[in-house]
Amino acid sequence: MRLFNTKKPVAARAEGRVEAVAKVTGSGKYAAEYEVKNVCYGVLAVSAVAAGSIKSIDLSKAKQVEGVLDIITHEHKPLVPGMADEAKIKETRFGLPIFHTDKIYFRGQPIALVIADTLENATYAASLIDAEYNTEKANVDFESTHPGVKLSSAGKEKGTLDAWSGAAHIVEAEYNVQAEVHNPMEMHATIAHWTADDKLVLYDKNQGVNNVQRVFARLFNIPPQNIEVSSEFVGGGFGSGLRVWPHALASVMAAKQVKRPVKVVLTRPQMFSLTGYRPAAWQKVKLGADNNGKFVGILHQSKNNTSKYETFSEGITRITRMVYNFDNLKTEQATVPLHLSTPTWMRGPGDCTGAFALECAIDELSHKMQVDPLELRMKNLAVTTDPESGKPWSTNFVNECVEKGAAMINWKERKQVPGTLTDGEWKIGYGMGIGMWGAGRGNASAGISMQKDGTITVKTAMTDIGTGTGTAIQNITHSSTGVAKNKIKIELGHSDFPATGSQGGSTGLSSISGAVSAVCDALKQKLATYALVQKEVYKNAALPDILLSETGVSYKTNNNEFVSYADIWKKNNLTTVDVEASSGPGEERQKYAFCSSAVHFCRVKVNIKTGKVKIDRMVSVADGGRIVNEKPAANQISGAVVGGIGMALMEEQLADKNLGNLVGNDLAGYHFAVNADAPVIEVAFINKTDPNINPSGAKGLGEVGIIGSAAAIANAIFNATGKRLRDLPITPDKVLA
Amino acid sequence: MNGKQSYSRRFFLKTSGALAVLAAIPASVKALYNEAKNFIVPPKQTFPLPVSINKKMYKVTVDTRTTLLDLLREDLHLTGTKKGCDHGQCGACTVHVDGERVLSCLTLAAMLPGKEVTTIEGLADGEKLHPMQQAFIECDGFQCGYCTPGQIMSAVACVKEGHTSSVAEIKEFMSGNLCRCGAYNGIVESIQKVAK
Amino acid sequence: MKPFTFSKPENLGKALSIKKDTVQFIAGGTNLLDLMKKNIAGPDAVLDITTALSSKIEQQGKGVRIGAMVRNSAITTDKTILSKYPLVAKAVLAGASPQIRNMASTAGNLLQRTRCPYFYDITTPCNKRKPGSGCSAINGENRMNAIVGYNEQCVAVHPSDLCVALAALDATVATTDKNKKQLSIPFKDFHKLPGDTPQLDNNLPANAIITSVDIAENPFSKNFYYLKLRDRDSYAFALVSVAAALHLQDNHIADARLASGGVAHKPWRWYEAEQYLKGKAPSASTFSAAADIVIKDVKPLSNNGFKKSMLRGAVETALQNCLTA
Repeated sequence: MRLFNTKKPVAARAEGRVEAVAKVTGSGKYAAEYEVKNVCYGVLAVSAVAAGSIKSIDLSKAKQVEGVLDIITHEHKPLVPGMADEAKIKETRFGLPIFHTDKIYFRGQPIALVIADTLENATYAASLIDAEYNTEKANVDFESTHPGVKLSSAGKEKGTLDAWSGAAHIVEAEYNVQAEVHNPMEMHATIAHWTADDKLVLYDKNQGVNNVQRVFARLFNIPPQNIEVSSEFVGGGFGSGLRVWPHALASVMAAKQVKRPVKVVLTRPQMFSLTGYRPAAWQKVKLGADNNGKFVGILHQSKNNTSKYETFSEGITRITRMVYNFDNLKTEQATVPLHLSTPTWMRGPGDCTGAFALECAIDELSHKMQVDPLELRMKNLAVTTDPESGKPWSTNFVNECVEKGAAMINWKERKQVPGTLTDGEWKIGYGMGIGMWGAGRGNASAGISMQKDGTITVKTAMTDIGTGTGTAIQNITHSSTGVAKNKIKIELGHSDFPATGSQGGSTGLSSISGAVSAVCDALKQKLATYALVQKEVYKNAALPDILLSETGVSYKTNNNEFVSYADIWKKNNLTTVDVEASSGPGEERQKYAFCSSAVHFCRVKVNIKTGKVKIDRMVSVADGGRIVNEKPAANQISGAVVGGIGMALMEEQLADKNLGNLVGNDLAGYHFAVNADAPVIEVAFINKTDPNINPSGAKGLGEVGIIGSAAAIANAIFNATGKRLRDLPITPDKVLA
Repeated sequence: MNGKQSYSRRFFLKTSGALAVLAAIPASVKALYNEAKNFIVPPKQTFPLPVSINKKMYKVTVDTRTTLLDLLREDLHLTGTKKGCDHGQCGACTVHVDGERVLSCLTLAAMLPGKEVTTIEGLADGEKLHPMQQAFIECDGFQCGYCTPGQIMSAVACVKEGHTSSVAEIKEFMSGNLCRCGAYNGIVESIQKVAK
Repeated sequence: MKPFTFSKPENLGKALSIKKDTVQFIAGGTNLLDLMKKNIAGPDAVLDITTALSSKIEQQGKGVRIGAMVRNSAITTDKTILSKYPLVAKAVLAGASPQIRNMASTAGNLLQRTRCPYFYDITTPCNKRKPGSGCSAINGENRMNAIVGYNEQCVAVHPSDLCVALAALDATVATTDKNKKQLSIPFKDFHKLPGDTPQLDNNLPANAIITSVDIAENPFSKNFYYLKLRDRDSYAFALVSVAAALHLQDNHIADARLASGGVAHKPWRWYEAEQYLKGKAPSASTFSAAADIVIKDVKPLSNNGFKKSMLRGAVETALQNCLTA
């Protein structure tokens, strides 16, 4: 039996997440950790040039290594029907056609997979593979390339640019964000096992098992139900698990080739080029206001890099069409193909980058107007109606977030004139930034299996990537059925369970909560039907009147018209009671617009002699509708803010313009925030239910925590020093410049 | 480009005539680094390894190249110890060797005889969780859980070493354990709770 | 990783008798294993010398002898070090992580190799890794690299924090070879500049071994500071670091030591600034003038111009903190 929440019996179950014991004892199994009999190891060898094609690959040395079973290359591979020819490759939209091309699109592109008996042998053999290339000139230089790429419209223009050309106050500036890499702590891994010619078992790190199932069904032309995908514990995703990446296909091909289960775990450097990243971006914002501080117009332009084999557009300007009211609005975008791998969604995709420019531009405007940036924002927030769709917001408490956060950080201590507050060689400043994210909801299904002793198991294919989804499911089940929490087991992340969308875009809880509520209702209904055999009253009983206890079903009040589970099971000759239900968005989406929001406040200290930036306080207040479980929700926000600190101050993936290689592509070279970089993040919620979004009233929180947080920090640095730093990350060199 | 050589080098030649021999170091260190030419693939070396893990004696035959981390995860299926980088840059593989926190990814299994290894699997007292494990649950000191065993092993050591006098001290002495989910709030709180 | 034989010689004599160019000693392994996994180092044999050498911190005359196998963390808790050579402990605490400090040896810390990203990426040219292949960093992403003492061959910096403090305190490195020939190398001469042999980081004689690091008695236990500036607050290599120590007598500077990490192929002493400080009253203007002397000859690369102003600020701040911290 595989249960997400109980891996090991423990004497005293602590109050915490359902899977907490599995995680603190190390017993929860992540993809690479499953014991699969006869498993062998696959290790990728990658291209040493960034552009061109493979002339030849020398496998002679690698093949001498003992234990090597086979080596897959574009010239030696099993058939993948979905990639049989160029047309099919295009059709699959798989991305990099690994081992199905001799072309090199980026440095670090896999050129071979060594399969060997041990990890040591496979790793060593992979290091002995040499290749010759027809090398072409590579371009990885976003900065010098993007000016030559033309912008095109991103959404409908509102009003005109001319209408506000004479506005009383106008700011115009360019902003740059370097590429960032997800780097979840667990490196992506797949164990592929063909249990029959057309039956595949996968243990895989991803954010959506049904998506993985679909992709491989298409690639190998087999029914999805022949593919079993298990992703019970996922060591962080941040968007990197929303696609099926080349290494997963490599492991499946290898398993086919050697007729043994094959495990492929990416190395950390490979994580930088084979599982996506947040693209580098350039933005220009022109923003105008009248003398009353009312925004009159905005022009927001953006460009992000993509690869030479696929287009990925981030949607950077979307946020500008959402948070504030503008009578005149124009948004434009473009993608810039480079000899790099394809970027992908990364926490707060698009909006995170867009909010940096937008929220900094507002800060610049407030400085120019000599008004409090908080006041300027409050005057222009679109709190009643979604400016894009014109629909009323179902709920939008962003203004309350602003007020609450301002009180928490003591915003009135902020001085309007930059550089006013000092502490020796340290300058002190305050800044704020707003994050918003369309609160989505997808289709989802869940099932419940009930035992005679009253224990129930809730199952869904949804993964919990650290979001607390499993715990939320337990909470919702408990409040919907009345069944005690210790009798509710949770099973997640398996393709045999009722299907859902992926855990991404902050839709996980919002989507699954509806399915869980529905399946709880279905359980009550079904039990009532069984109880009817003994008590007439259950005929046509309304849902709220059906009460479940530890031992049986009651009508209207506890123990009234009581029928025990034991009797139900006996009379109906049952082993288990199984129900399944689905739910999804409905008419409410026609009537309302939905959003989550977070407002970030930062107090920063900047050492003007050394360039050191120290974040003194960080306050984030979020509107995520009803908070279903507070601790994991607060953890989501504070964790995202830590990501925002990284984005603001240190995260950047550089590529060498001459050689085309990523520079410092490991966790020593690519810095993200360690414990010491973050203050204790102060988090608060508005915690007001959204009555329309889903039965739980909860809106997604995964993204908003990072959106706007980097701007809050950059704005605080400006308030401290008077230096407007528009290029992220703000490393000490930029502070000193 | 600045001058050909610095004053420090001149100091060296002037002041340490007796050491002049040092100036003529053969460039033989080169031999340590792989040269592709005339390459003969050396055979793998295995040896019998007795190793005590969580007070249990294991006798295994291992490759000399095997790290403690791979020994735990691939050979012994003790997968609670995590691989996050394999290069000593993340702390996910933290275990205790003779009671001190170390990185298992940079420890050769071959160097373990005579030493006692404790992993996350050996931290609880039977079915009773270690107070730090309990604190991590109560303070929600994790999200995805992947760095958690390393964080907990490190946190136990942090308390034992006495580096818990302030939030800043805890943060500094826990900075060798990266958490991409950013669950640092709960990690610090857990340690404060146990240190009390 | 290339296969290798492994053995643990019972004593130093045995270890040295086996040592040759293709044989590598291992102690903490925190850098060596890293290099072997990256196929930068590929010894045929690895010798575990952790019990063949001293792991004791002992009084040596009026100074202290730190055995080659003393763990970095032991340096940070040793009473003698903390009372008489606290700068050394401070520097060690600024480096790596608690786990790595528990593993890494004193000798190994001296011998650790550069963290230049091109040195670590074996698909790129690097004269230190493969002599004659060229230097990728000099025209590449070199914000972490040298601003002094480099040449066309190599712009790498030495990554150690401990060594910056040892350089400042004029430590000596005790070595021995298989003929039992012992050498005591002044710290400033231990590490070298790239010159024509960028593949060599130091002047340790071939196949010799470090047995201890010795520090003579000194008057720098009261007014000292180690300032490390990096891209994050902890667990990162230095952009610039400064070890500063002042010997104050009657409100003037009787002696001064100033060294930096993150600026050169070796831990770098600022002798001229030290000379300037001697005899002066410790004041903000004195420190500012010393900082100006420090930066007057530095020549940043294409991407690390900021290190000049950062270094200036770091020197000033470190000297100032010698009085207060």
